Amino acid sequence: MSPSHEAAAPRTAREQPRRFASWREHHGWSAAASLRRLAGRPVGTLLTVAVMGLALALPLAFWLLLGNVQKLGDALGQQQAVSVFLQPGQGSSVAQLMATQLRERPEVAEVRLKTPQQGMDELAKMQGFSGALHALDNNPLPYVLEVQPKPGAGADAVASLVADLRGLQGVDMVQDSGAWRQRLDALLAVGTRVVLILAAMLALAVLLVVGNTVRVDIASRAEEIGVLLLLGASRAFVRRPYLYAGIWYGLFSGVLAALLAVAIELVLAQPVAELSRAYDGSLQFGSLPPWLLLSVPLAAAALGWLGARLVSARQLRRAA
Amino acid sequence: MIRFDQVSKRYEGGHDALSQLSFEVPTGEMAFVTGHSGAGKSTLLKLLALIERPSHGVISVDGQSLAKVGARAVPKLRRRIGMVFQDHRLLMDRTVFANVELPLVIGAVAPAERSRRVRAALEKVGLLAYERQLPATLSTGEQQRVGIARAIVAKPSLLIADEPTGNLDPQLAMEIMALFTEFQQTGTTVLIASHDLPLIKRMKRRVIVLDHGRLVADLSAQEVL
Repeated sequence: MSPSHEAAAPRTAREQPRRFASWREHHGWSAAASLRRLAGRPVGTLLTVAVMGLALALPLAFWLLLGNVQKLGDALGQQQAVSVFLQPGQGSSVAQLMATQLRERPEVAEVRLKTPQQGMDELAKMQGFSGALHALDNNPLPYVLEVQPKPGAGADAVASLVADLRGLQGVDMVQDSGAWRQRLDALLAVGTRVVLILAAMLALAVLLVVGNTVRVDIASRAEEIGVLLLLGASRAFVRRPYLYAGIWYGLFSGVLAALLAVAIELVLAQPVAELSRAYDGSLQFGSLPPWLLLSVPLAAAALGWLGARLVSARQLRRAA
Repeated sequence: MIRFDQVSKRYEGGHDALSQLSFEVPTGEMAFVTGHSGAGKSTLLKLLALIERPSHGVISVDGQSLAKVGARAVPKLRRRIGMVFQDHRLLMDRTVFANVELPLVIGAVAPAERSRRVRAALEKVGLLAYERQLPATLSTGEQQRVGIARAIVAKPSLLIADEPTGNLDPQLAMEIMALFTEFQQTGTTVLIASHDLPLIKRMKRRVIVLDHGRLVADLSAQEVL
């Protein structure tokens, strides 16, 4: 190392860590000071955090609901078959014949024949039905043909198939879950949009709550701000604890929202488990993904920081 | 340390607080600024701390012209000046320790060093035992001493005080003045605005007398009777 190099290098090398150390010092102090202030008035802090937390939990709860309705739809969609209920009294031979004929239609992928006994077994598996079924002398259930349209078959083709089925001799009722599924999908699309709008509005509300809380805080600390400026504090230094306060408000309310969402999941878990059993266990309770639960506090902290930032510059100019 | 050269300050509305004021205070000196209320004492101190800017003239502190200190550099300059106020301006919701610590926090001093220096400053003003108390639990004289500890904790080269004994009885006022004398003896330049003439006479220090913003007398320590 040349002498000239040596003379220049150590100074910058010393200066960099010192600047970093003082930056760290200031941030550590501001973060701790703002946390102490929040803890100093616990009721106000808890109320603010609760309002923000509930606001954030609402879209999460809707998301949860929507996700599960979607899953329910999927589970039902697997049985997207058109169910053809034969008239009571139509025997096995009629049902077999009808199934063979239907299998030959081009738009039909598969036809499954469900005997009254199979129907009875299925019902027996559902909670609460077994006792009632034992009380029956004979099986009142009809033969059912589960007609699965080909995946490529359009809505029109399925509709005309359904119309034909309704016209067949010996058919009591035709249940088409396709149209129902279409309606559910449309409803889910509307629901998703509603959740997004709701989330955006409530995020704005969170921003306003933080902004107003910090604004009031700054206004009530005008004297302290004046003293700090006289002692040689920079505006950035004066402002920093308020930005941290915004971050804390956001972080705590985000954690609260995530906890509330988990609590809602736990409350729903049991009834959904029963619902699942009713659907042969094919229905799984859709809980919120961990990435979402983790990102809510982070996003809320960012919102809190932004809210505090938006009001603090203006308010500090007024206070000092 | 302090140089005023033909300094005038006219407030909005046309009131002349200072007119063509010139004087110098060398490094390490202790001086009083006196005059009746409205003579311009507070304005003089406000100009030094860059709370106000002069309308005319040049002020320099430690060889640095204050006119060249931009808004962003004001905090840095203020950190070199210790300020004591008549109403002490302590933060009443923080402990004595936290109040005295503030200039060091602003100066980004490391925590261990901070406590050491806060304790040293509190010991100097005789209030180390009160470090955990809130200022409201102290007497007026003690609160003023906390204010002084806060002013000196960052070891400023210049200490300015605006009526530091205004609310105190003569006995306490003398104790406060003794503290200022102590700091001056360690090399700090001290400038005190006061209208308490009996006290100033007893101190036997240089006295700058203002009247309606003009310098009417500049008495050396020997000239003070």
